[in-house]
Amino acid sequence: MSEGGPPDNPTVGRPPGGASGPAEPAHGTVLAGASIAYEPGAVDRAATAVGGGGALPPPKRRAYLQQVVYDTFQNLRARFASGWIVLLMFLACFAPFLASSHPLLVKVDGKWSSPFVQHLGPADVVLPCVFVTGVVLLARRRLGMGQGVLLLIWVAAVTSVFAAGPDFYTALEAAGEGRGPVAGAWRLLARSPVLTALWYLTWVGMVAFAIVAALRWLPRRTAGVTAAILTPLCALLIVFPLRPPENVVYEQYRVLQAQGKTEFMLRTIVPYSPTDRLRDDPDARLTGPSAAHWAGTDAYGADLLSRMIHGCRIALAIGFIATGIEVLIGVFVGGLMGYFAGTIDLIGMRLIEIIEAIPRLVLLIAVTAAYGRNLYMMMAIIGLLGWTGDARFVRAEFLKLRKQDFVQAAVASGLPLRSILFRHMLPNGVTPVLVSASFGVASAILLESTLSFLGLGLVDEPSWGAMLEQARSGGAGFNWWIATFPGLLIFLTVFAYNLIGESVRDALDPKLLKRE
Amino acid sequence: MLSYLIRRLLLLIPTMIGATALIFFVMELSPVSVTNTLLSREGNVLPGARKAREEYLNRRYGLNNPPVVRYFKWLNGISPVGVKEAGEGFPGAWRFGFKTPDLGDSFPQSKKVSEIILDALPVTLLLQAISIPIAYGIAIWTGIFTARHRGKIQDIATGSGLLALWSLPVIWVSVMLIGFFANKHYFPWFPTGELHEPQSTEWTFLPGNGTRGWLLDTAWHLILPVVCLTYANFAYLSKLTRAALLDTLGADFVRTARAKGLGERVVLYRHAFRNSLLPLITVFASLLPVMITGSVVVEKVFSINGTGRMIIDSMLAKDTELFLSVSTITLLLQLVGYLLADFAYVLADPRVSYE
Repeated sequence: MSEGGPPDNPTVGRPPGGASGPAEPAHGTVLAGASIAYEPGAVDRAATAVGGGGALPPPKRRAYLQQVVYDTFQNLRARFASGWIVLLMFLACFAPFLASSHPLLVKVDGKWSSPFVQHLGPADVVLPCVFVTGVVLLARRRLGMGQGVLLLIWVAAVTSVFAAGPDFYTALEAAGEGRGPVAGAWRLLARSPVLTALWYLTWVGMVAFAIVAALRWLPRRTAGVTAAILTPLCALLIVFPLRPPENVVYEQYRVLQAQGKTEFMLRTIVPYSPTDRLRDDPDARLTGPSAAHWAGTDAYGADLLSRMIHGCRIALAIGFIATGIEVLIGVFVGGLMGYFAGTIDLIGMRLIEIIEAIPRLVLLIAVTAAYGRNLYMMMAIIGLLGWTGDARFVRAEFLKLRKQDFVQAAVASGLPLRSILFRHMLPNGVTPVLVSASFGVASAILLESTLSFLGLGLVDEPSWGAMLEQARSGGAGFNWWIATFPGLLIFLTVFAYNLIGESVRDALDPKLLKRE
Repeated sequence: MLSYLIRRLLLLIPTMIGATALIFFVMELSPVSVTNTLLSREGNVLPGARKAREEYLNRRYGLNNPPVVRYFKWLNGISPVGVKEAGEGFPGAWRFGFKTPDLGDSFPQSKKVSEIILDALPVTLLLQAISIPIAYGIAIWTGIFTARHRGKIQDIATGSGLLALWSLPVIWVSVMLIGFFANKHYFPWFPTGELHEPQSTEWTFLPGNGTRGWLLDTAWHLILPVVCLTYANFAYLSKLTRAALLDTLGADFVRTARAKGLGERVVLYRHAFRNSLLPLITVFASLLPVMITGSVVVEKVFSINGTGRMIIDSMLAKDTELFLSVSTITLLLQLVGYLLADFAYVLADPRVSYE
């Protein structure tokens, strides 16, 4: 493993008792970057522990970050919490397979068809693929932790590229006025060059990042498997983008079935799409839980359970992407501040103070009120305003690390700044960010639901917060099922992330380790 | 101490300019314009008249100026030192010097910003002035309780319970409370919103004349909002108290105190507790600005006209002056919070000094 392991792996030795805490992360350090003799298979076993197994005896030596994650998941509560989040991920990835108004398979007038497949969007295809890939990788236990995290980042990049897919193509088609997307691309560029160029750059950059990350950071075989699954898929989606019909008729198969015209019909478990307002059944508005609608219906007649399942996507996407932005900016800025100290640190701290002085919810309200309701805008704002906590953590760590011998050695041997900062210092100083990241996911999810609750969230999309708001404003007094179920979902998710965050903090705290 | 204070004050100036500039330009970039808001409120006029009206409004409110100019005009307005008319303020003859800060006018509401804020602020302050002491009181008690029973079942159960409490989204709690406890179909125990009954203005202050009186009425209306504002702070503060107390209880002087035979209560309250106060004070400093913005959700759900609702409304109407002023007040409160915290550190812990 020491041979094939990526150079990014933190290689700080750690005594078995785990006596070194965040205060002294480099305790017993050898020159970082030079490889420490891993016990063979240690990383594999750490990955097992992360995967929820953890039955093996703890290996003697682990990298610091791995040790912290291992300690975190020794905690039963953290395991339950991560189980809940994996369940939510499953729901998010397979949402249309679980809840859709379109039958999976139908036979009408002797003809077989699958309306379900015709209505799949790019995200509906890519997300399950990514989820399955992730499960396969975890099950085969070939990944170290650093690689696992990078895989997650990579997955986030891939999904965000394709989540933007339909909008992208619709805009291109609209600009092309019937002459196809290529003509549309040129016209768009001519109309507003700067914005469009930025847009293309982001697009190309995200795809390029996904591919480069896969080739560069994943182990060769894993990359091979992943690429074999995803590359043809990406190519297919880019050349022939999946575009579900613009005017979706939800009730046609229900009506056909009621008339007895369907010879065979296979439906999903919850046979309603999140935006299916049940126009064929006007009495279905605001009905409580029943056999037909397990969690009741909302003020417009849509099935609440279906909306809750599809809402997982928005919540998790906001949580992960906003936190990803936070961590990236926070680590970068905090690292520079801590390494250079002095004037850069002073300026950076003022910047942090300025940003912390603005309440995030208030600025989010400002932006959504001004620019309309846009999921990506929300993610960006939450991320751009939330990095200060991560930056403070990393800064504090780097201030301590910069005078340590191994950093001085790296400086003295003339390594480039990039290498000193990201290869040598970052693996030793990034661990506390785990705490702020998992609390950050919780607060990002909360912010989105609060915003939607205040009526400034996404329109028509199933967001948990917006559902909750209907409990009161939906008319006819208080609808307890609308209040209870989505609210419980928000609470459990936030609670799960906070539990994980707290057990990371416990794992980081040397005082608590002494107890054992 | 003095030089420390002065440094703090001076460092706040760039922070304030930076934060208000950020907010100003974010609002400025938006395509919504306050002139359009005003015009749409006036209803349909002839196209030519509309154009003239638009120009008039732009000129009247100074919207023709470039954003940078408007920002600095506003900044000069709120600053106690700056360009002023000759004949007012301190060196009276000069056109530059000390003057009364002016928060400006709210265009959509045609009122002075200071009047609007003074209407809304007492309501929010009342809510917070009740909920913060309650949160602190219960939190300190729970924190001490859990720290004393560290590692036992009481501690672990309370710990998870507090984390759960902290994770409860206020949007959910407020909706559930108002839905179940202010609802004639379930438990009609509490009013559904606002701070007073409409007829309470005619009532006496204390109960009498067959009414429950203004004071009791207000208290009754305040219960649910205060619960919503309190529980999360309370959970967070108790965890903080517990951590701080555990930190102190491991210190050498506590062992010494125990070794010389002091009782457990004396060790805990006289020796350990005062030394664990610092984190609680730090959090209080950051709670002050939250006082203004923190009750956005609660005020919306319980239809209370405080600053939280004002923030949303001013945002939606693109009332830049009002919004900037609220932000400025929040910033100032933060400064006050920090300064108070600095003083409180010295009071709580004699080892702290700023020399």
